[in-house]
Amino acid sequence: MNKQQGDLFKQGTLELLILRLLRSGSLNGWDIMQRIELLSAEVLTVTPGALYPALHRLEARGLISAVWRPSDNNRKAKFYGLTTNGRKQLETQRKQWEQFSDAIALVLRDA
Amino acid sequence: MNLTDLFRRWRALTHKNEMDQELDEEMQFHLQRDIERNVKSGMSLEEARYAALKSFDRLEQSKEECRSARGVGLIENVVRDVTYSLRVLLKSYAFTIVVILTLALGIGANTAIFSFANGILLRPLPYPQSDRLAVLDETAPKQGIESLSVSYPNFLDWRDQNTVFEGVATHYGTSRFAMTLGGQPTEIRGSRVSYGLFEVLRVSPLLGRTFTINEDRPEEDGVVILGYDLWQRNFGGDSNIIGKTVDVSRRQRTVIGVMPRGFRFPEVSELWVPLAFTTKIYTRNDHGLDAIARLKDGVTLTQAQTEMNTIARRIEEQNPVTNEGLGVKVISLHENLSGNYRDALLILLGVVGCVLLVACVNVANLMLARATARQKEFALRAALGAGRWQIMRQLLIESMLLALIGGTLGFVLSIWALRLLLTAIPIDLPFWMNFSIDLRVLGFSLAITLLTGFIFGALPALQTSRVDLNDNLKEGGRGAGGVRSRARSLLVVTEIAMSLVLLVGAGLMVQSFLRLQRVNIGLNPKNVLTATLVLPRAKYVKDEQRTEFFKQLMERVRSLPGVEAASATGTLPLNGSTWGRSLTVEGYPVLSGGQAPSVQHTVVTPGYFRTMGISLLAGRDFNDSDAKDSPDVTIIDERLARQYWPNESPIGKRVRFGPPEDNEPWHTIVGVVSAIRHQRVQEDTDASVYMPHQKIPVTGLSLVARTSSNPQDFIGAVRREVVQLDPDLPVSEVATMEEVVAEAIWQPRLYAMLFAVFAGGALLLALIGIYGVMAFLVQTRTHEIGIRMALGASARDVFKLIVGRGMKLTAVGVVIGVGGAIALTRLMHSLLFNTSATDPFIFILISAVLSVAAFFACYLPARRAARVDPLIALRYE
Repeated sequence: MNKQQGDLFKQGTLELLILRLLRSGSLNGWDIMQRIELLSAEVLTVTPGALYPALHRLEARGLISAVWRPSDNNRKAKFYGLTTNGRKQLETQRKQWEQFSDAIALVLRDA
Repeated sequence: MNLTDLFRRWRALTHKNEMDQELDEEMQFHLQRDIERNVKSGMSLEEARYAALKSFDRLEQSKEECRSARGVGLIENVVRDVTYSLRVLLKSYAFTIVVILTLALGIGANTAIFSFANGILLRPLPYPQSDRLAVLDETAPKQGIESLSVSYPNFLDWRDQNTVFEGVATHYGTSRFAMTLGGQPTEIRGSRVSYGLFEVLRVSPLLGRTFTINEDRPEEDGVVILGYDLWQRNFGGDSNIIGKTVDVSRRQRTVIGVMPRGFRFPEVSELWVPLAFTTKIYTRNDHGLDAIARLKDGVTLTQAQTEMNTIARRIEEQNPVTNEGLGVKVISLHENLSGNYRDALLILLGVVGCVLLVACVNVANLMLARATARQKEFALRAALGAGRWQIMRQLLIESMLLALIGGTLGFVLSIWALRLLLTAIPIDLPFWMNFSIDLRVLGFSLAITLLTGFIFGALPALQTSRVDLNDNLKEGGRGAGGVRSRARSLLVVTEIAMSLVLLVGAGLMVQSFLRLQRVNIGLNPKNVLTATLVLPRAKYVKDEQRTEFFKQLMERVRSLPGVEAASATGTLPLNGSTWGRSLTVEGYPVLSGGQAPSVQHTVVTPGYFRTMGISLLAGRDFNDSDAKDSPDVTIIDERLARQYWPNESPIGKRVRFGPPEDNEPWHTIVGVVSAIRHQRVQEDTDASVYMPHQKIPVTGLSLVARTSSNPQDFIGAVRREVVQLDPDLPVSEVATMEEVVAEAIWQPRLYAMLFAVFAGGALLLALIGIYGVMAFLVQTRTHEIGIRMALGASARDVFKLIVGRGMKLTAVGVVIGVGGAIALTRLMHSLLFNTSATDPFIFILISAVLSVAAFFACYLPARRAARVDPLIALRYE
């Protein structure tokens, strides 16, 4: 893992990505990790050490909920899905993120 | 926080292992998938596993983070910290024991004094809605009399004219009634009460009824109400007692009621008969009653006072002779009862509070010293990732644990201490004092325990958590030593200053008490036995019967071997019995109503002055020829003699007692005796006059007998003589005169004792504190001392260095303490007798004693420092 990239991955950002990924259906931790790497074209990498605490924090805040069920390879895995609150949170956070990145882009362009 | 959330947190707390296992499984699944992927991409199983594990670089730490995400971190951490703290405390048990004992004593003393104050100042009286009860007193402001007992006609006017009270009733103090029960003459304390008293108190009888208005009249008053204990004790709780006739002081009375358990009024009375006064006998001049009233709903004390002022003015206008200058005072019953004790109790609470503060300071000091020794531990924890808050929390939890254990022990101690305290009170506790433990006491105890833990825990926690990693790990503790030892010096100065304040307070109290004890009360209480006899009026109807009884008894007692003199008095000095009467002196203007001077009117039998050791200064004592039909004579004391006849002999002059308009006969002065303290040891407001018992044959007299040896050895003999004269007559209040005098000053004695004990405790704590700081100083500076000595400092120089340091702290503490004491001791003014609150002798003495004691506390560590061997000291570490 590239350290520089890791540092960019602040808590809030990772949580936002997790919420976004879960919008389309429930996933287990390993899947989430693979998808983040895949979707970001391997620019962003997540370590289990960052991912799992983030998942447990979201669960504790009631934004996602978990169930144990068999995965593709028939082993039991913990699957996370969005709760209603999580869905709302995703919307607000996405708006905030967009405003933020627009603002950054604006500054970078004009400066 | 919603319900599912709550449930989840609850599960996290209770199913910790299960959840940890799930976490493991989740991680395991992840590893497996990683390994599978790696194998697919061509790695060997071995390589694949290694790579997967490597990507999980911080497995345990992330597990921990997952756990803390459960939201029960705080509770879980606290539980962990508590167990950890307990382990730490058990390991350093010497420290723990010292701290817990210090706290237990401090908290115990506070809880005990608080329970005491609670029982007197805070607890409601044992009557329904007792806060609506008020006492009505007469006042004579022009004469400076704040409180005067009530006359019967005035009471009747108040009762009939007021609109502010639901009811007004009155009672005539506490009297002694004789009942023969099981063949034994017994004295029962009871009261004459007016119609309506029980209704004002809102207490209904357990059996039967209360007095009717008709029964509150002479001739119709042959009824009695019994107290619960009396009923149980003497009538075996007979449920058919109502309507039965009992003998009360040789008079047959019908039992009409039994009051419920625990009811006493006033003070300790447990038998009630109707007052049955008439205004013919009890005029507006006869002040002797206590009035009690219940405020109507919505009426305040001030409103009641306003109306009573109007009524008093009206009575004054209608009865100018008797009521001139008389007013009424309305006070809440509770304040009236507890007022005497308030100042002393509040000051005592302050004193124990200070002792607890000193204890806190001492414990804080110990904690700081220990924290220094534990610096490496904290530095290590900080290096392993513990934040400042975590270390502070750990320390605070340790403090709280110590406080809670100390507090619990202290609470137990307080129960025992309170019992001890109550045994130091020689009087019968009045009905309304109740010292049992209630919620208020428990709450107080818990509150001061937590507060204590916080006070002594906060400073060390703040200090210690400010860890400088590098410094501490490298130097092993000397880094922050400077700051910490400044904090400790500050604590020592505080301790010394506070104990000085307490010691000065105690010094003043003890000085005041010693002066009180040395007061010349004008009589010699040594080897005098006293006992009270009340002749039942129904049996001793005629005056001659009463005088004859006492004459015979005196003769019998006098003839006992070892009895040097014997006599009797109607009002024994200093036991609370008084009889104030107004005085008119022939040749002086006649003053009426509330303006005439009042004298202490004492009825005695011949030989009283010799028995009591009162000097006869002029004239003669009474003798048997001062009989019923002989001329009226009186003996006055030197105060009165000096006041009215400063330049001539009062012998042969005439005085008259009672209200002038009553035109009582003139009494010729036949003797002058030395003055005594009759009402209070502190001071007497009234001069004393004496009258022969044959002239005023009252029923109750106190026997006084001067004996050649310990008067207590004569109790049996005196009782036997009484039985031979009248087997049914109870003998009560048997005591030596020294006991009577000691009882009269029990409050100052108790307060001085408590003050001394608490201040002594504070001094001890302060000395331990200064010793600890000095010993610590020597220990941490051994290296430096070694260098000094190597460079040529002598043992003497080192000794002076250490002692100098300690004495400097002491001096600062003493200066601050003296300032504090000057500011605070004036609050004690009302408790001091003949002693100035800023008595320089006490201030200097206490400062000196404290300084000398502090010197010795520094001496041991200093001597140790002086014996340091420079070679060993330098090699050390």
